[in-house]
Parts: sequence; C-alpha cells; structure tokens
Amino acid sequence: MDPKPQGEAPSSPSPAREGVRFLWRRRRAVAVLAGWSVAEAAYTFATGYALARALDAGFLAGKPVPGLAWLAGAAVAVLVGAYGTGRTYRGTAALAEPLRDALVRRVVARALHDGDRAAVSRLTHQVEIARDTFAGLVMVARTFVFTAVGALVGLCLLAPVLLVLVLPPLLAGLALFAVTLRPLVGRQEAFLDADEAVAKSLGDVCAGLRDVAAAGAEDPVHADTAALVDAERDAAYALARWSVVRVAALAVAGRLPVVLLLVAAPRLLDHGVSAGALAGALAYLTQSLLPGLQNLMHGLGANGSRLAVVLRRLMAEPPRPAPGLQHAAVPGAPAVALRGVTFAHGPHADPVVDRLHLALPHGSHLAVVGLSGIGKSTLAALVAGMLEPQQGEVSVCGIPARDQGARALRVLIPQEAYVFSGTVGENLRHLRTDPVPDREVLAAAEAVGAGELLDRLGGLAAPLVPAELSAGERQQIALVRAYLSPAPVVLLDEAACHLDPAAEARAERAFAARPGGTLVVIAHRAGSARRAGRVLVMDGARTTVGTHTELLQRSALYRDLMGDGGPRGDAAVSQPSRPLRYADRVDPVAGPGLPGDGGHVIAYGSVRQVQTAGDLPDGGPLRGK
Amino acid sequence: MAARHRRSRLGGGDRLVADATRHVGARTLVLGLTSVAGTGAALLLPAVLGHTVDLLLARQSGEASRWVVLCALLLCAPAVFDALDGLLTGTTAAGATAWLRNRVLGHVLAVGPRATARFAPGDLVTRLVGNAAYVGTAPGSLASAVASVAAPLGGIAALGLVDPWLAVAFLAGAPALFLLLRAFTRASTDCLIAYQRLQGDLAGRLVEALDGVRTIAAAGTGRREADRILQPLPGLSREGHRMWRVQGRSAAQTAAVVPLLQIVVLAVAGLRLAQGALSVGDVLAASRYAVLAAGIGAIVGRLNALVHARTAAGRLAEILAEPPARYGPRELPAGDGTLRLRGVTAIRGGRTVLDGLDLVVPGGTTVAVVGRSDAGTSALAELAGRLADPDAGVVELDGVPLRDLTRTALRSHIAYAFARPALLGGTIAGTIGLGPHPPAPGTVTAAARAACADTFVRRLPERYDTPCATAPLSGGEAQRLGLARAFARPGSRLIVLDDATSSLDAVTEHRITHTLLTAAGPARTCLVVAHRTTTAARADQVAWLEDGRIRAVGTHAHLCELPGYCAAFADPEGAGPGPSLPPPRRATEADTPGGPHRRQRASRDGGEPPTAWGAEGRQEPEVSGPGPFSPPPRRATTAHAPGGPHRPHQVPRGEGAEG
Repeated sequence: MDPKPQGEAPSSPSPAREGVRFLWRRRRAVAVLAGWSVAEAAYTFATGYALARALDAGFLAGKPVPGLAWLAGAAVAVLVGAYGTGRTYRGTAALAEPLRDALVRRVVARALHDGDRAAVSRLTHQVEIARDTFAGLVMVARTFVFTAVGALVGLCLLAPVLLVLVLPPLLAGLALFAVTLRPLVGRQEAFLDADEAVAKSLGDVCAGLRDVAAAGAEDPVHADTAALVDAERDAAYALARWSVVRVAALAVAGRLPVVLLLVAAPRLLDHGVSAGALAGALAYLTQSLLPGLQNLMHGLGANGSRLAVVLRRLMAEPPRPAPGLQHAAVPGAPAVALRGVTFAHGPHADPVVDRLHLALPHGSHLAVVGLSGIGKSTLAALVAGMLEPQQGEVSVCGIPARDQGARALRVLIPQEAYVFSGTVGENLRHLRTDPVPDREVLAAAEAVGAGELLDRLGGLAAPLVPAELSAGERQQIALVRAYLSPAPVVLLDEAACHLDPAAEARAERAFAARPGGTLVVIAHRAGSARRAGRVLVMDGARTTVGTHTELLQRSALYRDLMGDGGPRGDAAVSQPSRPLRYADRVDPVAGPGLPGDGGHVIAYGSVRQVQTAGDLPDGGPLRGK
Repeated sequence: MAARHRRSRLGGGDRLVADATRHVGARTLVLGLTSVAGTGAALLLPAVLGHTVDLLLARQSGEASRWVVLCALLLCAPAVFDALDGLLTGTTAAGATAWLRNRVLGHVLAVGPRATARFAPGDLVTRLVGNAAYVGTAPGSLASAVASVAAPLGGIAALGLVDPWLAVAFLAGAPALFLLLRAFTRASTDCLIAYQRLQGDLAGRLVEALDGVRTIAAAGTGRREADRILQPLPGLSREGHRMWRVQGRSAAQTAAVVPLLQIVVLAVAGLRLAQGALSVGDVLAASRYAVLAAGIGAIVGRLNALVHARTAAGRLAEILAEPPARYGPRELPAGDGTLRLRGVTAIRGGRTVLDGLDLVVPGGTTVAVVGRSDAGTSALAELAGRLADPDAGVVELDGVPLRDLTRTALRSHIAYAFARPALLGGTIAGTIGLGPHPPAPGTVTAAARAACADTFVRRLPERYDTPCATAPLSGGEAQRLGLARAFARPGSRLIVLDDATSSLDAVTEHRITHTLLTAAGPARTCLVVAHRTTTAARADQVAWLEDGRIRAVGTHAHLCELPGYCAAFADPEGAGPGPSLPPPRRATEADTPGGPHRRQRASRDGGEPPTAWGAEGRQEPEVSGPGPFSPPPRRATTAHAPGGPHRPHQVPRGEGAEG
C-alpha cells in the first residue's frame, strides 16, 4: 500500500516539521542555492556602494573617469548578479522538483488505498500548485534575505552608524508582519475554501439544470448558491482588510528608515558621513530594501497560505496496515469463517451485515444472492480483509482476514476487472511471484474459457491496451489471473457479469473444480445460485443459508430472485449499476443443463459434493453453445 | 455577419462591465482617485528627496527641515494610499464578481435546461467561475488604468525635466529591454509540452489502477502498482528541471536589463554632475526615475488584462443573451391527468427526432415509450413535462397547453425521475425533498420507502443527513433517490420516468412500480421511457417510437408479435412476451369497466380527448401472450398516425401503423 518501509513509525502530517526535515535532507541543494544567491546579492551591494564611491571619488571630485569606472564595476556586478539569478532557478528546481516527486508518490499511494477518483486532479493540478507556490516562496524568501544582507553590508561599509537608523524599524516592521502572518494565512485559507465551495456548487447546478427545472427548485437552488457566492465575497473582504495591516508593516520596515535617515542627515554629515554615502544609503533603502519587503510580504501572504492549504490536502497519508504479524494457516480450520460479524458504515448507520455466522469448509462453493446494494460486495470485502468489522471475526484458513498472512490465501475478483498497460502475459501472471511456464498460463486460460481471447490478442507476449478491451474481455483476463493465483479461496464479486451466461457458467465451474479450491460467488444471475452447493440470501441485515431447493421453499425473496424458479425465469439476481447488455436475460444453460427437469432444480446435496457433481452434467450442453 | 455578431457580443460584454462597475461605483471612484494620488506622490518623491539631499548637503538646515517634513509626508501618503488601494482593489473585485455570478446564475436558472443545450455544463461553469472572476477585476483595472500608464510616462518625463540627456539615454537603451523580454515566451513552450505529456502518462496509469483498485487492495499489490504508475516520474523530473533552467535563463536576462538601464542613466547623470549641470540630489532622483520609467514594460500587461476582461465579459454576455423560459398565467383545472401531444416536432442537434407526433396518454394509465433512438424517447420525455418546448405542435395536460401554465402549476403537477439524477440539495434528505418548498415532515422518508431507498439510506454514515458528495452511491442507488424525489411530490398528476429504473434489478424495479401504481390518493398518469422489456411489459400500453413517429401502440405482448419491435430494446434477446413476476395491480382495478381481462380501447373522434372512453368500446378478442400474469390494461392509449393533427386515425391493435 505504502511506498515507505513498513517499519517507519506512523507520522502525523505536520507541514512545518516535515518541511524542515525535507530541507535538512537536501542541505546540499540549499547550500548551492545560498551560494548563487550571494552572487545575485552582489548587484544589490553594488547599487549603493558603487554609487557612493562614484560620486565621492569621481563625479563630485570633478574626475569623471573614476566615477565611470565605479559605475562600470556596478554593471559587471549586475551581470554577475543576473547570472546568479539564472542559477538560483536551478537551485530552486533542486528543491521544488523533489517536493513534486514526493507529493506524487504520496498521492499515488493514497489513491491506491482509497480509490478516490479525485486523486487524478490532485496529481495533475494540486501537486503542480504546490510545486509552483513552493518554488515561489523559496524565491521570494531567498531574494529578500540576500537583498537585505547585501544592503545592510553595504550600509555598514558606507558608515556603520547608518545601521543604527535602519535596523530597528526594519526589525520592528518584520516582527509586525510575522505576527499578522498567521491570521492572514487563516483568512486566505477561508477564502480558498469559500472559492472552492462556490465552484463546486456552480458545477453541480450547471450539471443539474434539468433536475432543478423538473423539481421547480430554481428559487431555493439560487438562494443556496447565492449564499455561497456572498460568503466568498465576505471572505474576500476580510482578506482585503488584513492587507491594510500588511501595508502598515511595510511602512514601518521600509519607509520609516528613509525618514529617519533624512531627519538625522545634518548630524550624519557633521560626523564625517560623505555626500556619496548619504546618496548610496538612500539608494539602498528605496531601491533594494523597500521593493524586497514588498515582494516578501505579498509573496508570503498569498503563496504561503495557498501552499499550506494544498499541502494539508495532499499530505493526508493512507492509514498504515496493521503490524505484520504473520500468522500461519491453521490446519483443519474452515476455508472461510465469519463469527458474529457486524459491519456498518458509521456509528449512526444501520448495519450492512449484522451478527453473521458462516463457515465454509475447504472445497465448498457458495453463492451469495440478494437485491442490488444489499451488501453482497461488503461481505466480499470483509472476507478479502479490505474492511474491518465493528464486531466479530473474519478468518481465512484460520488466519484473521486483515492479517498480512491472509493475503496469499484468497483472491478477490471484483466486477470492474483490472487490466493494465503491459503484455498479456504480465497481466495474467500478475498474482504470481514465481515464474509461471507459458503452458500453465495457456491451460488456465483454456479452463476459464479465455483461450480464444488469448489467440485474438496475439499470445502472451503481445502488448495489451486496456482501452481496446471490452468489459467482458477485461473480466476474462482477470479470471485467468485469479485462476493462476496460488490462493485456495477465490471470491468472484460479479466477476463475470459482462460475459454471456454460458461463458460465466464455464468460468464458475472451472473455479469450482480447482483442486482444494473454495469458491464464493456474488451472484449476478440466477444460474450462479443454481450451480452452487450452498446459497446465502441477503435481505437487509437478515441472512438465510441453504441449498437452492431449500431456499425455494423457505425464502420468498429467493423465489423472486430466481424468477419463480422456472427455466425461463428472467429476473437477474443482481445487476450492477452500469448498463448491461444481458440485463434481463435468462440463463439458457443452467436450466436444461442441470440434473432434474428445468422447473425443479435438484440441489447438489452437501457442499462438498459440488465440484464433482456440479461440473459433469453441465459440461455437455455448454460446449455446444 | 460574423463581425457584426462579434461586435454585438462585445457590446453586450461592455455593457456588462459597465453594469458591474456601476454596482461597485463608489469604491471604483475612490480607488481611481487614490491610485492617481499614489502615483503622483511616487513621481514627486524622487525630485523632493533629491532637493532635500541637496539642501542638507548645502547645510541649509532651516530650509532643509521643511523639505524633510515634505519628504516624510510623501513617504507616508503612499503607505496610506497603498492600504486603501489594497483594500479597495480586493473588495471591488470581490463585490463585482459576486454580483456578476448571482446575476448570470439567476439567468441560467431562468433559461433552464435549454442553457445546457446551448453551452456544455463544463463550459457554463468555466464562464461562471473563471470568466466572472476575470470580469470582476475589470472595475479595479479600469480605475487604476490612468495611474498605471501615468507612472512610467511620468518617469520618462521627469528624467527629461531633470536633464534632457537622461531621457535620451533611457529611450536609447529601452528597445533592448523589449527585445530581451520577448525571448521568454518562445523558449518555454516546448519543454512545457513534454512535461504535460509525461504528466498525462502518469495520470493515465493512475486512472488504470484506480479502475482496478479493489483488485489491488485485495491482493495487497499496492507497492508494486505504485512503482509501475511512477515509472514516468524520473522523466517528468528531468523535464521539470529543464523548464526551470529555461526560466532561469530568461529571468537572468530580465534581471540584467532594468539595472543596466539604470546604470546607463546614472553614468550620464554623473557626467553632467561633473560638468556642474546637475546636483547630487538630481543624480539620486534620476536613478529612481529610471526605475519608474522602466515600468513601461508592464503597461502592455495591464492593458492586456483589460482586453482579457472584455473578452471574458463577452462570454458572460452570451449567456445573458439567451432568452429566459416564459411561463403562462393559467392554473390547471380539475382533471385526471390526461396528457396529449399534438403534432409535436422536436429537433436535436439539427436532426428531427420527433416528427409531427400525436399521442394521448389517458389519465391514470401507464404508458411506456420504447424506441431505438434515445434522442427521440428522451425528447418525448422532455416535452411531456415542458423541460423543453416542442419545435412545432402542442403538449397539453388536462386540456391546457403546458406553455400556458404558471411555473408553479407546471412543476407541482408534473414530477420527473431520470436515469442519472443530479443529486442536488446537499444531503440525501435535501435531494429527495428538492423542490420549490421544503417538503412536509415525514414525506421524505415515506418517499424513500416507496422508492426502496430507505434501507440503503439508513446504512449511510449519517443516514438521511449524509452529504450526497460523500455518500458512496451506485448508479442504482442514485436512481432510487431520483425516484424518491418524484414520489415526494404527492400533488403531481403526471409522472415522467425517463429510463429511471434502468440500473435497478428486476425485483427492486417491480417493487417500486408496484408501490407507484398502488399508491393511495388519486391515480397518477405515468409516462415511462423504457429500454428494458420488463419495464415495457408492466405498462398498460406501449407506444413504439420509430423515425420520430409512433409506429404502433398496444400492450407489450401484442407488439412483441410485430417484426422489429424487439430490436427497440437494450436487451432484445430477452424481449419475451411478458415478465415472469406478478404484474403490479392497481387498487382501482375493480373499477375498470369490463373487468380486468376485458380489453377495451378508446375511440377517438376528431381529435377530441377520449373522455367517453369505452362508450363505443368493443370487446377485444382474448389474446394469448403474456400469460396469466399479463398486466390488464384498463384504459387504452390512442395514437395518431401523422397524417395530420386534426384527422388522426386509429391504430389497429396488434398491427403496426406505418409512420
């Protein structure tokens, strides 16, 4: 799940602490960046100092040549500084690019954990915002620090007494800004949240205009959205009011030193400060420090809060799996066992599964039926260890289902089959860590009825393009993969719903015939239930277990689901939410192919007999279809 | 023609900008004044500062102290102006944006679903979110336009006033500035393209894995999958570094230009100082004016922003140019909910999907509309409840043309459910109760129960208060919420189900239709667009739509005998003669004249609605087909062949009326 080593202690995402750690790990890059920034600051230093020297030693002394020479020196400093500026971009990249990489890794890890589709937008959009704002922050903060240092060193060289006039207001202004930074970031966050809420609401309304009109809900919908629009406007007002404080901080830090310098000028001139030094000091204050402060306060306020918001969203980590206590399979334990299992989606929600007891011996074949959305897939997810029940225990071959050790013992194939860009062979061997000979792969494909598909795709070495496969073909690939997996327990969660009934029947029988294999089928069509040795009927939180014949007598719902039990019953057991081609089709194979007449299906008897009894009678007519 | 269209669009946009500016008029005015004052102060300061320095250097303390005070004022005044400017720019943009969004949103809602036929929903959102925000900045940009042009021009003029040679030096050096600034855009595009391609690759791999996220989670292969997805990352990083390098190069160019210009001006000023033509203060002022004058490069950007805002305003004006939906003054008289379409034509995307269609759905009956063309059946569903107006012909409910009804009458008497309902309204309860007024207490849960939605809603984390955005709903569950929304409107006479049960399993669909038909209160007329045989089989009558006209009307069992009928379904092979589930029976079944097994049909005469249906009713021969469970239609539907809206002829039962 997580790209980081298992042993690492779980960390709560604190952007500040992680940021410091991030920079510390890249201290070399930071040092290189600082070096080039010094070169960049050479220009800042030159603006004032060269001007002062050019005036004092040159133009004011009536000697134009030294004056021009000092200015030429400043021009060289400008060029050096500009080169430094160019290199600081590379230095910033050495920080921003690794940040992007780390965020991408984290987004991918989390997406694979929770399957959230929004991850794609996070990956392409929010990560880029984080990268750009982070780079912007690095640039602004760095520029200010080195500009300030360059200017202060220059002032000190011109006349150390100048620092006494400049430093106190500068520090006071920066302190004022620092104090207001946190509330400012808070306002900025509130504004961004309000802005997103508006965009989302407008998106919903524009996509649902038909529903709004049909419900005659124009006025309340307009009122609701207008309230969000007004809330965003108020958030923007609040943000704008805080900008006043920023201007005050800027006035204290940047403008006050100029006034102080002018007020003190007669005394400074009396105490040996030259005319050139005074002009140079004014140049430092008005042309280096003031613009630098302006950029810092604007950049930190806007970029910093944006970065904070985006990082907070991106850095939420997936919960780590439980510590890897590797239990060994318990001999003699049932293949799948549920003891008093209760699961609900929240403390206020009705349970989806309520105190369910179920034990499947090795080699058994269970079908789970019920109306769509009743919780069949939740049950499969509980057995697959993807969900944790609030009460009770789920175990696979005696190992708790959430345990790492249980992973190798069961394989879940969901309705939405997974295929990836790669070769056909890579896709089929995906669940095997050992090398699998081609012969075995081809035999597996033949067994579940995908041999023809493999031929069509061009064999195991052929590249597979997911977009070119139909939903049914994707399911066939996933079925072969599961068949090849070493796991003794196979969970098919409507895994063949896009196949035609004959192909579905063939695949199910192949799985049931796996030596020692236990099969749980979340049934999509009535045929799946008829083929299974035992059937679990889910009806709300109530469940009933029995054979097909028993349930036909006992469960009204089961009779409904089986479409009155007749061979022509055309009620699908369960349909997925997507449109299906065979939505209402009768299973043409199961009825006539099964022992007994079409109307009254004879149960297979005990669960254990199913693999031998279930496979034979259906084999004949199936091949012919 | 195109030019005139463009002009009119921009004209509308300009009017919109003017309206928005007027809405924040006072603030815009103050903003304009402060920005002009701020620029004035910024232009005065270097000259005053220079003169002050000269006075200080000349030891004229008395005179100098007055100038120092002036300097302090000129330094502090911009701080005040800046503060006002920040406050007003922010609030002006926010106020104007909010005003624009509310205005355009109100208009979009008034236009109704037709707006999305003209603009794709995503496009509408972009206009409402992005373009409105852009136009919102227009008043502020307008107000500060004078100031932003005045600063650099004033800087050049001030250089000339200090010494004409300074202006000459600046203007000679400036062209280099423009040439170098232009280099940036050309260099950066090609690495950006490579970067975006790799990013797309990465996103594509992630999407692939998200499709199989359950498989991956169950197999615990997450780390391997992450490695596979992240394969393009090193390449992305390489391209990223390349982008920064290119940016760094152009930044270095721009970083050099302005200071070099400034040094050129300083060198000339220094020479003039040595000649005694200028003072130290003048040199200082010249250095500052050179920086101000270099701001001329930014003027283009400022003007560009205004041009963009104008274009964005044009795009908003396009929305406002769509005429809003008009409603009539009439209320609905008492009636049984008979729906009549007369000579109705609908054109979608330039194609005629309904072509002079005539259909009567008698009050209280259920009629399924089937047809291969989704466009035709959906258009019919839209017209039946006036989500769209027909391009020709009339749709009437209980004798009143829909377009004569008030909006309230129309929406309170016709309810809709769709295949993919938009789950507006915030929470689950909100989306079920979506309507002009909050529903009566208890209505929501009762409607949810009727739509078989109560069970799964109670399993959601916050039950009925669960936000729709966070509720993990399947397509079938969303459909049931949409159905519940329709059921939560007890006053409706007509209910239109546009493929609204397509994602439900057969048993659930059966339960819902059963509840719908046996609900207490006055019987409701149902128009059901169906793509599944079971749905069609449960209706009293089926209207078979082909090539924009009614091909035949009859029970599902009868129509099944016609060639081509089965192909109208998404599940043609399964189009058997009837469902195996017990059909819904109405509570009012006993009222049916002739009993449940008598098939009667209405006669039509001269286009009048079949008020006296059955008066002329002849007994139909028993047809074997749907079996003992076939739904007994109690009233028949009459269809008109498109021979003309006023001389319709009857469709013989069981035969196709060639359209």
